[in-house]
Amino acid sequence: MTLLGVAVRNIKRSKLRTSLTLAVVAIATLFFILLRTVVWSWTSASEFSAKDRIATRHKVSFVMMLPKRYAQEIAQIPGVKAVAYANWFGAKNPKDESDFFATIATDPRALLEVYHEIQTTPEQKQAWFENRRGALVGDALAKKEGWKVGDKITLTGSIYPGDWEFFISGIYTTTTTNVDRSTLYFNWDYMNESLSARQKDQVGWILANISDAGASGRISKEIDAKFGERDLQTVTMSEAALNQSFLGMFSAILKAVDLVSIVMILIMGLIVGNTIAMGVRERTNEYGVLRAIGFLPKHIAQFVLGEAAAIGLFGGLIGVVLGYPFVNALVGRALEENMGNMFPQFRVQPGIAVLGLGLAVVLAVFSAVLPARQAASLKVVDALRRVG
Amino acid sequence: MSETTNGKSDIIALNKVGKTFWRGKERLDVLQELDLTMKEGSFEALMGPSGSGKSTLLNLIAGLDVPSSGSLRVAGVELSQMSEGDRAGFRAANIGFVFQTYNLLPVLTALENVELPLLLAKLPAAERRKRAQTALKVVGLEDRMSHYPRQLSGGQEQRVTIARAIVSDPKIIVADEPTGDLDRHAANEILNLLGKLNTEFNKTIVMVTHDPAAAERASICHRLDKGALAL
Repeated sequence: MTLLGVAVRNIKRSKLRTSLTLAVVAIATLFFILLRTVVWSWTSASEFSAKDRIATRHKVSFVMMLPKRYAQEIAQIPGVKAVAYANWFGAKNPKDESDFFATIATDPRALLEVYHEIQTTPEQKQAWFENRRGALVGDALAKKEGWKVGDKITLTGSIYPGDWEFFISGIYTTTTTNVDRSTLYFNWDYMNESLSARQKDQVGWILANISDAGASGRISKEIDAKFGERDLQTVTMSEAALNQSFLGMFSAILKAVDLVSIVMILIMGLIVGNTIAMGVRERTNEYGVLRAIGFLPKHIAQFVLGEAAAIGLFGGLIGVVLGYPFVNALVGRALEENMGNMFPQFRVQPGIAVLGLGLAVVLAVFSAVLPARQAASLKVVDALRRVG
Repeated sequence: MSETTNGKSDIIALNKVGKTFWRGKERLDVLQELDLTMKEGSFEALMGPSGSGKSTLLNLIAGLDVPSSGSLRVAGVELSQMSEGDRAGFRAANIGFVFQTYNLLPVLTALENVELPLLLAKLPAAERRKRAQTALKVVGLEDRMSHYPRQLSGGQEQRVTIARAIVSDPKIIVADEPTGDLDRHAANEILNLLGKLNTEFNKTIVMVTHDPAAAERASICHRLDKGALAL
């Protein structure tokens, strides 16, 4: 038996209260891990980007268009192997408009050349090339929507209004996690032919495969220089930089998620502090006895802080143990399948788990400092007079 | 400790001890110029009505509090000027406590409760355990060592408290209403045990009690009234 051992055993006093407090610590730790994993996964998405792919967009903004002919001109630049262009189409399933998934108009052959990670059968690939209204959908999206090859579906356009009819030509999988498995790609010509003359032949962005990943900087400069004197100028960047600039649009959300994770763990600290304070109040008489038989104020403080540390440690450990399967197997799998481009690898990082556990212990101890001081500063005779 | 004529020395000596409390601006003289001595190995009772100052006197003798005036020597140590930290050390070495409400830690077994004061003594774990077992044997609870307080009767809990009080072999045992929460039978057992500690182990026992039957077990009974010894 040790002083710390006695302190730890104090957490068994009120089993219901301790269980509830441990549950709060565990849940706070689990959600801290989840939210930090969201931030980590989102911000590190660019690390999983293909190094041999560059993207060109309008110099001013994503939402401004470039002439389609730029794609052919980029293809002429030395070092560029293949070029694809794309438009964000923004269609929704009329059966459930809140159900978000990406719909992108593109050149089918070029897309599969540039995105070598996208895999489908030769038959489905050929069917998509040959059908102007054909669509290639990610396996996660097809599973979610219940679509299968040969189905006819109707989507409602938001950027390009109206009902749009598609045939599911193929279902793709990916060889890496950085490509979203919940996107619907369709033939750019199908979209283009329905637009007014003013809107025709314009693309949102142009993607290029390059032969040497190390030359991406040089090639990007060459591309931008080529259009530098034109009315519509470009900015070209690696896929990683493109993803990062895209992330910039969501920086406020990331900061909010960051803040929520901190607030959550702080609230946990307050709850632990409250539990410890209640325990101290109930045990005033016992602390008086301990002081009477020779224990010093520092020993009483150790009892209180040790108990808080034990609650933080056990609760935090439960949070970490539950956090791994919850984040990796449940949330992570769903996000990687449905939002793979934003969360290419949604897995608990050991550093985040250690940080969550460490914060649970440190904040639990910190929150018990005030009750510990109060317990330690009690006058022995006053403490003995109080009956718990 | 001063020698006396019968060979027994004074283990407790109060010389004009006063204790004053303040309730806001109101001054309360709980003990007034009290002179009192107790001999080593004696069994003495303190009686008196509520508010007479007997518990305050017990707290002073036990080193839980310091007098506002006068001199207080216990076990050869002047307590009146001692710091709180030094008094804690003094209590651990010289005083065993028996409380009315037992005050055992519910998460510890009887053996662990008895071992608790020894955590301060820097003894090996095996030695601590051995001493705690011996103390429990002295109080007749060798078959209840692994029981938690909730599994013991009131009398057994009080015996564990007594074992805790003697485990560090103090010179003095202070008992504050040790039979106050017990029925007559259990109270007699506790009083027999205190008597045994006094006669067989030469412990000086100072007991505060309202119970005349308990006070009869003491060799000397001091009566307090309004902070002074009643004649």
